[in-house]
Amino acid sequence: MNWPQIIVTVVTLGSIFGVVTLSLNLQHARGGMINFGIVAYFAVGAYAYAIFTQPAPQGLDQYKFGFGWPWPVALVAAAAAALLFAAITGWPTLRLRGEYLALTTFAFAEVFHSFLLNERRIGNGTVGLANVKRPISDWGPIEEKYVFAGAAALLMIATLLVFRRLLRAPYGRALDAIRDDEVAALAAGKPVQRMRRQVFLISAIPVGIAGGLYAMFTTLAQPSLFTAEVTFIVWIALVLGGERSVYGAVAGTLGLIFFEEVVRAWPFETVRSAQIAASAEHIVTGLLFIAVLRFQPFDRIAERVKATR
Amino acid sequence: MNDPTSTPTSQTPLLEASAISKRFAGLRAVGGEDGLSFVVNRGSFVGLIGPNGAGKSTTFNLISGVLASDSGAVRFDGHDITTATSDVIAEHGIGRTFQTPRAFESLSVLDNVVAGATSPGESLRAAFGRAWREHESATVDAATETLERVGLAGRADDLVTDLSGGELRMLEVARQLVRNPVMLLLDEPTAGVNPVLQQRLATLLEELHSEGMTLVVVEHNLHFLLALAEQVLVLTHGELLTEGPPADIRTDAAVISAYLGDDHAA
Repeated sequence: MNWPQIIVTVVTLGSIFGVVTLSLNLQHARGGMINFGIVAYFAVGAYAYAIFTQPAPQGLDQYKFGFGWPWPVALVAAAAAALLFAAITGWPTLRLRGEYLALTTFAFAEVFHSFLLNERRIGNGTVGLANVKRPISDWGPIEEKYVFAGAAALLMIATLLVFRRLLRAPYGRALDAIRDDEVAALAAGKPVQRMRRQVFLISAIPVGIAGGLYAMFTTLAQPSLFTAEVTFIVWIALVLGGERSVYGAVAGTLGLIFFEEVVRAWPFETVRSAQIAASAEHIVTGLLFIAVLRFQPFDRIAERVKATR
Repeated sequence: MNDPTSTPTSQTPLLEASAISKRFAGLRAVGGEDGLSFVVNRGSFVGLIGPNGAGKSTTFNLISGVLASDSGAVRFDGHDITTATSDVIAEHGIGRTFQTPRAFESLSVLDNVVAGATSPGESLRAAFGRAWREHESATVDAATETLERVGLAGRADDLVTDLSGGELRMLEVARQLVRNPVMLLLDEPTAGVNPVLQQRLATLLEELHSEGMTLVVVEHNLHFLLALAEQVLVLTHGELLTEGPPADIRTDAAVISAYLGDDHAA
């Protein structure tokens, strides 16, 4: 087992997906909105980053847009694109509640996925946008993978700090009130519709940037990377880590990615045992999920912390 | 302020409902052929009574923007609030409680009241700043005082899920009082409230009235309401049956008939 490599991968991917989990935490645990299409906002960021950095099309390329801009501009574009996408999808959907919102956001993500597959002028179809540029190839004495891990971790910590600041202000209390009882919150003068929209838009920004980083890391923006599976992994991470705090969202994601990476890197002697392990991974994930839901360990910890405070 | 009984209510209209109406699935809930019209004067204490299904709560919902009126107009304190949303109406100074008490279940009793107030740090921009911190302790103090006023001071740190039905009603009153409303609409405030708390509520309402707050109270406990209100509106089938001071309402044949049936009217 190559532990240093595993840890670097876990920090990189765990942080990138941790940003998405943090956004879900804000949208769902505090904002009371179920977004089952979160992968689409992530994909928008990745594609925007790819489109803004890649060279103009040539030869067999089917895509029409490639701006060849520097990577910092492209990361800003990734955030802006996710924000724009959230504005477009949020406008018709945010009047919906609970499972209706869940279904609609899921449908939006599926439509977007299908659009990426079929509209070759934007994303090059199923092939996707390969050769996404990494910013700089020479980081001097530091290996590139550490730079990525550091950048991802930085983005996650920044997201966590910004969200925590927002939620510790009276804004967070008003959000809790809205989630608990919308009618009573309105009677207390809380602009429910506006705050829901704000939360939906704000949380899309870091997801877009994380998408850009992900495209940078994988050097690829391809429809197969952005399926509903991503949505469910982040949701599982959120439930595993507990919805009570922003730290839970991070811990859940890091734990889940760590578990996946260890199974992936395990030096199996035979192909057969690797196959068994692959299916066992899903079973164990499922069992963990059930155990967390049944015993709610994180909620208990959160309550104990609250009681001793 | 003076004793409420000796303070003449001003004749300035604060709330004017003109020809409002609401139908549910085609059935008339509020407003007859011409809609429902009434006026609440500034500083008055109005009782709104009527048998079950008379449209009392629906009227509250129309005024407070929970429901949109099918017709007519509502004016409050110089504003046309006919099509305004609940939050805007609340900011204009109309507070209300609900027939079934509502609470923010994840927040403590004190935080429920704090969340009732509109704090500066609730706007997105201000939340990232520091200025709201200065206001926060004042808001918490106001909420603590309000809890004392409704008799829930000892339960400030409890979860709302531990409160009794009556205490929940008092909490809801506190959550509105902390907003300093110009007019407070109370929907059946004594339902499920024990006699001690009821007495406390009566005293509180008298105090609020003498402080100049306009009160509109829907109540089935007529003994409680008629002892407090100055003016009573009687609704049946969504229409105004009659209005007048409590003494007249007590003996009004049409009111007794509406409540108890024709046999008792004579």
